[in-house]
Amino acid sequence: MAPAYHLILEGILILWIIRLLFSKTYKLHDTYKLTEREKEDLIEEWQPDLLVPPVSKDHSSLKYDVVSGPPSHKIIVNGKECINFASFNFLGLLDNERVKEKALMSLKKYGVGTCGPRGFYGTFDVHLELESRLAKFMKTEEAIIYSYGFATIASAIPAYSKRGDIIFVDEAACFAIQKGLQASRSFIKYFKHNDMEDLERLLKEQELEDQKNPRKARVTRKFIVVEGMYINTADICPLPELVKPLSSAVL
Amino acid sequence: MTDSPASKAAGYGGACPHARNGPRQERNGFPKSLRLCPREQNRDQDGEEGRAAPRHGAWCGRPVGESFEETPMLVAVLTYVGYGILTVFGYLRDFLRHWKIERCHIAREKEEQKDFVPLYQDFENFYTRNLYMRIRDNWNRPICSVPGAKMDLMERVSHDYNWTFEYTGEVVKDVINLGSYNYLGFAENTGRCADAAAEVSVTYGVGVASTRQEIGNLDIHEEMEKLVAEFLGVESAMAFGMGFATNSMNIPALTGKGCLILSDELNHASLVLGARLSGSTVRVFKHNNMQNLERLLREAIVGGQPRTHRPWKKILIVVEGIYSMEGSIVRLPEVMALKKRYRAYLYLDEAHSIGALGPGGRGVVEYFGLDPRDVDVMMGTFTKSFGAAGGYIAGKRELIDYLRCHSHSAVYATSMSPPVVEQIITSVKCIMGDDGAITGRSRVRQLAHNTVYFRRRLREMGFIIYGNDDSPVVPMMLYMPAKIGAFGREMLRRNVGVVVVGFPATPIIESRARFCISAAHSRDLLDREEKNQTKKDDRSLDGEALAAISEVGDLLQLKYSRRRLQLTAPRPSDDAVYDDMDD
Repeated sequence: MAPAYHLILEGILILWIIRLLFSKTYKLHDTYKLTEREKEDLIEEWQPDLLVPPVSKDHSSLKYDVVSGPPSHKIIVNGKECINFASFNFLGLLDNERVKEKALMSLKKYGVGTCGPRGFYGTFDVHLELESRLAKFMKTEEAIIYSYGFATIASAIPAYSKRGDIIFVDEAACFAIQKGLQASRSFIKYFKHNDMEDLERLLKEQELEDQKNPRKARVTRKFIVVEGMYINTADICPLPELVKPLSSAVL
Repeated sequence: MTDSPASKAAGYGGACPHARNGPRQERNGFPKSLRLCPREQNRDQDGEEGRAAPRHGAWCGRPVGESFEETPMLVAVLTYVGYGILTVFGYLRDFLRHWKIERCHIAREKEEQKDFVPLYQDFENFYTRNLYMRIRDNWNRPICSVPGAKMDLMERVSHDYNWTFEYTGEVVKDVINLGSYNYLGFAENTGRCADAAAEVSVTYGVGVASTRQEIGNLDIHEEMEKLVAEFLGVESAMAFGMGFATNSMNIPALTGKGCLILSDELNHASLVLGARLSGSTVRVFKHNNMQNLERLLREAIVGGQPRTHRPWKKILIVVEGIYSMEGSIVRLPEVMALKKRYRAYLYLDEAHSIGALGPGGRGVVEYFGLDPRDVDVMMGTFTKSFGAAGGYIAGKRELIDYLRCHSHSAVYATSMSPPVVEQIITSVKCIMGDDGAITGRSRVRQLAHNTVYFRRRLREMGFIIYGNDDSPVVPMMLYMPAKIGAFGREMLRRNVGVVVVGFPATPIIESRARFCISAAHSRDLLDREEKNQTKKDDRSLDGEALAAISEVGDLLQLKYSRRRLQLTAPRPSDDAVYDDMDD
C-alpha cells in the first residue's frame, strides 16, 4: 500500500492535467489580431508606387537611332550615311551573298518560325547539322545551340552549378554571365580582372577551407568562369596560365 | 466575405453562378463545369466595356465549360505501382552498372578529372538514367520540312536502347502534326508572309549584329511595334528577340526588393525565373483560384513585408492567358476586379492565347470582352500564332518608355532578325484583315471550329480531357508511365506526331499527351467520317488523326472517362455572329 502523500500527489497531478486539457490556450498574438474594420482601413489606405517611375523626356536611351537599310560596313542612321564602327560585324558576314542565298533557300523550305521548342518537333535537320559542324570546328565532342545569344551563358551556368557550389568569376564579366550567376544560387567569388595571382590566392583559400571540412568539399563543385574577350574592357583572358595545372588547387 | 469583389466581378451581382474554387473540386469523376459568361449580365449596363468589343457577344450566351475530371482511383494506384516497379528496376540496373556487369553509357568525367567532384550526383540523375532514357525516342524528333499541318520526320533508330541515335537517311513523309504550336497556320513556306520575309532577307540581310539601344534599331522594328500596339488596342508596344527572355529580363526591370509578386501555381518557367531574378518576394496562389488570390492580397496589404511589416511598394499579379499544360483559361474578369479593388498591377502572359482566342484573334482580353487598357502589362510571344520568333510587351506609353531605357534585353541583347520582323508584320496585318482579305478572320474561325470539334469528339470517345472547351491546347490524360512511351510510338506508327509529357513538367501521376490544334488542320485531316473507307494498304493520309487516336486509345485502354457525353448535334456555328461584327 503506497504512502498517503504519494496518492495525494498523484491526485493533484491528475487534476492539474485535466485542468490544462480543458483550459483555453493563451495565444500571444491574440492580443495583436486586427479587427475586420482595421483591416479594411489598412486596405483602403494603402497606396502602391507607380508601376514604373517616370522617365524624363530627354533620357539618353529613350529615342533610338533609326537605321534604314541593311546594316553593313556603311550604314544609314537617321537618314545620314555613315561608316559603321558600331556593329559586331567582325568578319563582315552580314553582307555575304552566300549566307543570304542559303538563308533564302532555307526560308523557302522551312518557313520562318520553328513553332515549338527543341523537344516537341522543333528540331530541324539543319539544327543537327549546325551542331555537328560547330563541334567539329571547335574540336569538341558535341555542341548545342540556343536561339538567343544572351540566354546561352545565362542558361548554361545554372545548368551545371547549383546551390552550394562555388564559382570563381572575373570582375569584368558581362551582364549575361552575371544573370547566369544570379540564377544559379551558388557562392560567387570575384577575382580581379585578368589577375591570375588573385585567382590563385582565392583557390588556395578555398583549399584550406576544404581541408577543414572534407565532407562538404566532396560534394561542392567549383567552377571558373572567364570570357575569351571581355566586352567591358576589351581584354583577352590569359588562357594558357589558366589551363596549366595550378599546383595546389583542385578544380 | 460579404462584399468580396470576386463575387461582384464585372457586375455579376449577388450570387456568383460559377464554382468558386480552382480545378480540383471534383469527386469520383463528376466534374463541376464552370459557367463563365461575363457578357450576359453586362448587356443591361451601358457603356461599361464600351470599346470595340461586340455588343451581341460572340463569346457569351452559351455555357463554356472548364473541367478537370478526377483521376480514377484504380488508375492512380496502378500508376504508382508502375513507378514503383520502374524504380526497383532502376536500382537493379544501377547495381549492375556499378559492378560493371552492364555497360555504362552515361557521361562520365575524363581520366584526368577523376578526382573532381562529379558534375552530376548519381541520385540526381536517377530519373533521367532509368525512366527518361527508356522512352527518349518520343522527344527531340527531328523534322525536315515546314512544321505545318503535315510534316516530314527524319527516321532514326537506336541500337542501344535510346542512348544514342542513328539517322537512317529515310524520311517519314506527311506525318500529321499535332504537336507544333501552329494555331493560326502561319507556319508555311509559300504565301504572302513567306514572300515578304524572303524579300526583306535579301534587302536587309539576315542579321543585325547590335543591340536595340546602339545601332540595331531598324525602321522595320519600329513599324512592327506600332502595328502590334494597334493590333492589341494599347498605346505602345516593344518587341524582344526571344519569348522566354522577354519574361526573364523584364520582370526584374518592373519589380525589385520590397515588391510582391503573386504568381499562379502553374506559371511557366520563364515567369518563375523572372520573378526569382527580380529579387521580390514571391507568393503562389492555387491555380485559377480567386478566393486564394484574394486572401493572399488581403493578407499582404494588411500584413506588409515579412518581419518589418512595412507596406509593399507594389503588388504584381502574374497570370497566363492559356496554361499550356492544363489547357485552362485564366478567370480574367475576376482577376481584373480584384486588381482594381486592391490596387495591384496585372501582368498577363498571353504566350498561347494571343491569336488563338477571341473573335478577332486578339487574345484572352477580347475573348472576355474586356478593355485591354485595364491590363497593366500585356506580354505575349510571336512563336505560337504568328509563325515567327520573339516576344513583346505592350501597355501604356510610360511603361514602354521605361522599358526602352531600362530593359536588360534592350541594353544587352541583339535585336530581332529582319526576316522574322517582316513575318510578324505580315501575319499581324493578315489577322487584322488590313487589305480587305478575309484570310485572317477565316483562320481564327477555322481554329475555333477545329477546337470545338476536336474536343467534343475526344470527349465522346471517352478520353479524359483537361481544360476549357475553347482552348486549342488539348491535354489528354495517360497517367501510367509505360503508356507515355507506348502512346507516342503507336501514334507515330499510324503517321500522327503527338507530344507526350511526363514528370517533371506535370505532377508525377498525371502524365498526358498534349494536342495543339491548328487552323491549318482541315476538317478531313482530323476526322474521316465523311470519307468512304479505303483499302487497308491504301493509306489515305487525310483524315486519320481522330481515328488513329481512338484506335490507340482502345489498344492501350486510355478511355478512362466515367462521364459519357451525349452525342449531340454540333453547336450552332458562329458564322452569323462573326459576320455581324463591326470592328
